[in-house]
Formats: sequence, C-alpha cells, structure tokens
Amino acid sequence: MTTAGDPCRRCSSPFEDGDLRCAVCGAASPAPLVDDLAEATVEVLRCEGCGAAVAYCVTARAPQCAFCGSIVRLEVPEDPLEQAGLILPFTVDRSRAEESFRQWQGGLGWFRPADLRSASRLETLRALWWVGWAFDVDALVSWTADSDAGASRADWAPHAGQTELDLDGIVVSASRGLTPRETSRLLPSYDLGSAREREPGDEAEAVVEQFELRRAAARRQVRSELERLVAGRLRNGVIPGRRFRNLHTSVLARRLVTRRLAFPAWVIAYRYRGALYRCVLSGQDAACLLGEAPIAVARVLLAVLGAVLGVLGLAGLISLIAS
Amino acid sequence: MAEPAQQLEVACSSCGATILIEPLLRTARCPYCDSPSVVDRPATTDRPRPQFAIGFTVDRARTAESIRSWLRGRWLAPSGLRRAAAERVQGIYLPAYLYSAAVEIEYSAKIGEAYERPQVDLSSKRLRRVREIEYRDLAGRHASYVSDTVVTASRGLPNAELEAIEPFDLAALVEYTPALLSGWIAEEPSLTREDCLQLAREEVRRRAVGTIEGFLPGDTHQSTSCHTSLRDESADLILLPVWVVALRYHPRRPLVRFVVNGQTGKAWGATPLSWPKLALIAAAIAGLAGLLVLVGRLL
Repeated sequence: MTTAGDPCRRCSSPFEDGDLRCAVCGAASPAPLVDDLAEATVEVLRCEGCGAAVAYCVTARAPQCAFCGSIVRLEVPEDPLEQAGLILPFTVDRSRAEESFRQWQGGLGWFRPADLRSASRLETLRALWWVGWAFDVDALVSWTADSDAGASRADWAPHAGQTELDLDGIVVSASRGLTPRETSRLLPSYDLGSAREREPGDEAEAVVEQFELRRAAARRQVRSELERLVAGRLRNGVIPGRRFRNLHTSVLARRLVTRRLAFPAWVIAYRYRGALYRCVLSGQDAACLLGEAPIAVARVLLAVLGAVLGVLGLAGLISLIAS
Repeated sequence: MAEPAQQLEVACSSCGATILIEPLLRTARCPYCDSPSVVDRPATTDRPRPQFAIGFTVDRARTAESIRSWLRGRWLAPSGLRRAAAERVQGIYLPAYLYSAAVEIEYSAKIGEAYERPQVDLSSKRLRRVREIEYRDLAGRHASYVSDTVVTASRGLPNAELEAIEPFDLAALVEYTPALLSGWIAEEPSLTREDCLQLAREEVRRRAVGTIEGFLPGDTHQSTSCHTSLRDESADLILLPVWVVALRYHPRRPLVRFVVNGQTGKAWGATPLSWPKLALIAAAIAGLAGLLVLVGRLL
C-alpha cells in the first residue's frame, strides 16, 4: 500500500496517494502549503498554444481555448484499479504440491473409485496468487438489538451498548478464481507475517490475480465486510442472550489500515473417466488441500443394499424371537 | 457578516483597460476585451482560500431542460412560467463549507416489544389472541462520523435553497484551482465561518434524530430524546457549481428565481401559485360537494 505523509488527524487512518479526503472520516488531507498572499493577485489563464485568454468549458470539463480548441489539463482525482502490493511467498514447490495431491487422492476412503489414483490424469498444476485485502482497525461499535435475555411478557427485550473491538489481520477475499468457501478454508494456512513487497520477478513464478475493483468500490466492500464481521462478533458473546433480532450497528473506525495482499495457491485440475475435477492447495501448507473427487456409485449402492438387508434381517430376527 | 474585502481596481492584462472587481467576487471579465480573470486575495478566517471545488458538468441547455421538467410536475404554477423566457442565466461557483466531525449521540427511548395475550371473548366464549405492546426503557450512545454535510457560505443563496438542490457527488471534488473558475462567476464567502459552522451543526443535530429512529430495536418506540455532541470538527471552504436562472412570466410580476445543481441538473424554484387555477379547483370541489348533497337528499 502506498501511503502519503501523515495519517488523518481525526481518525489516525493513513491517507493513500491521491486522496483529497480521508476515506474513513472525511477530514481533508493535509493541504500542500500555499504561501499566504500579501496582497490580492489577479490571474488570467492563457492558452499555451495561442496565448488567448481561456475559460472553463462545461463540455470539455476543463478550460478550453475558444480560438484553437486546445484544452488545459486539470488534475482530477483518479480511482485507480486495486493492485496487490504485498505478496506471501510460496513455501510449497511444484513437486511437493503434486506429491501432496497424490497423497490426498489415496486417502479419500472406500466410497471413491478404487482406481482413482491410477486412472486419473493430472491435467494442470498451476501456481496462482489470489488477491485479498487484509485490514487492521480499532473499531468503536455502538449497537442495539432485541434479545431473549431479560425478556418478560414479550419474547424480546431491548439492549444497547458500545464495544471496543481491535481487529487485526482480517482478510477479505477479492478473488474471482477461487470461491469464498475455498478462500476461507485456505486462509488459516497462511502466515501473514511472511508478506513481503511485490517484486518485478514475481509474475514469472506465478500468475498474480487482478483485483477487478477500483479503489472506491473496494473501500465499500471492505467496509461492508467489516460491518458483517462486527455483527458476527456481537452475536458471539457481546450481546446478552442467545437469540437476537433487529441488530443495528454503527462502526466508528480508527487507524483503519488496509493492505492488498496476494496469497499463494496451487490450482490442480485432473481428469477421471472423461470428467474434470478441481483441487486447490495452499502455497504455504502442503496439508491444506481441498477439492472435488468422483464418488464410486457402485460401492455406495452396495453399502446401502448391505445396510437395508442388515436392517431387514435384524427385524425378521426380532419378530421371530417375539413370536 | 464577514468583513468585506476591498474593491479591486486592476488593469486588464490583455487590453490594458481598468477592471473593477467587486469585493465579494473572485472573478471578473474585462468589459472591453472579455478576458476572464481570477482573483486571489490574502486569506482571512472568514474568507479562507477555497480548498476544493466541483466543476460544472451541466451546460446551459440542460439547465433550461431541467427547469422545464421540474415545472411539468408543478401544475398549480402559472402556465405562463412554462413558456417564460429566461431573463438571466448565470453559472455561479457558490462558496460553501464542507463540514465533518465525530458525532456522539446520547439517546433514550421507550422501546415497545409486541406480544400476544390470550383473552376470552365473552360474547362468543372463544379464546382470542390480543396483540399488546410492552414498553421498556433503553438508553445508550451512538458514535459515528459525519463527512458529507454541506452548508452555504453565501448570503445570496440561503441554505434551504442549497439543500433543495443537494446532493452533490463529493467523489468528484478536485483541489481548488483558479483554472476551474476562469470565465465564470465565483463568489467569496459572505457569511462568517462561525455562522456557517452553526448552520452545519444544526443540520447534523437535525439528522441525528432520524439516525436514532432508525437505530432503535423493538417493534415500535416512543418518547425518543437525543443529545448530540460534536468533536474534532473541521470545515473546508469549497466552491459548488450552481446555475441561477431568473424567469419573467408576466410583465408586472416579479422575476421567479430557479437554482439548478451544476453537477447533477437537479432544479428547484420558489414557484408562485396560479390564482385562476386555485379558484378553478376550489369551484370544482364546491360543485362536487353540492352535487353529493343533492344526490343524498334525492335518495
């Protein structure tokens, strides 16, 4: 993440390049010092091409010369596409990944086809850095809710409170390639402390996924994830009672620091009897693998048949004894 | 009122003619060669240098169209207004303060939780369920930031009129640069900073009640009271694009002023009511009432 100068003086969150105002609380970013004028000055904006006086033009959304048509460029705030700035290195290499995948295939249990390991063909084994935001924040959460605690005649009683939550290293996935289920299973396998600055050579090692969001939209997403997370924390131990409804929260964020991270993963595709299956392996823990595998229908049917016969036999035996 | 700056007398840098720049304006045009100029005066507390601005994106033609479509929704306005010629159309950069603060609201209310009570209906001897409300006291604090409150800094355009054409898309704010104003009218603040802060605080306090109404739990609530305190306030002077249009719909009637948001095209005006139309409606209502009474008698 690129930060510019001092943090916001109201909420202590860092500014990012190009921010005019704090994205968290709205305070203006520290203005570049302008020399105080001793007396009034009068300025006429002139065209760089022909020297004529230039006025701001609505259609060009910039000052445009009425004579030669040239436009004076204005600095406009940009909303850049998000880019991963930090990368977590791979600690599981290609051969270790393949070995781990074969082991996983072998340990799937009896309900899978017996020839899964021998008859399946590895189609691709691809290294990928999927992307997400990691944020730290000190949040003052004001909340109200109805819960069953303290209820008398009605089923619900109102509660309100304020709670300080210090959240560190919360990761929100921005991946398009991996499903939310996959990323949430992979996350515990990563060591966030191993993050390092992204280097130009990284793309040669693996594909770095793109964030498909601009900064403003990304901030909204991080914000809504923060609110979802806070609601979860409140339900687990903060609000008295066990059942809740009408939960309202207001989050006052301080020191909200967002980092854009790339997480390493191996994406594996294999073919078994014509069908394609997918697995994902953490790039930092060879034991953290999740994936799809075919089910041996014949074996499942056999087991069901066996169970039904067993139950029938038992019932017959019981009725025989009873009569 | 903010202490007015001096009227400036400068030589036009294009033709050398003398231009007078009014104390409350940041811009001027040379009456002889039409060269636009932008003034920068030494900053004072009540007349700071603008920090941000939003450029005009709505042009003259769209301004007229916005006013026409706004008037289509006002069918009690004099018909002449829709055909009226614009006597004056001016794009003005309006000085305003962008206010932000940390807001803490201390609230208390009675929260109603609904429940059903079984009750024997004496006439039918059946058991009914009656909905009742149980009220419980609730008090607490609500903390948040406000960051998008905008209040006028000009005596020329009261805050109510500015509110009528809000919101502005603040994501389009740019750092103030004289280039944005060149050729347009830009005002200096004519209200003091303290007056504007007061306006902003009032607006935040007014909105706090709504915030709390939406924040309370329960099925219903009553006797809500709020006490709002504001910390870490900041107010930055910004310039907002506003079209001011004066329409004359009758030679003996005063001009009607419209304001149009120069960024979104939202229009507003204090339209007069058409007396003939009102009289017609009153007559129609009276006639209908009379007819009903008559029908009632006959039946």
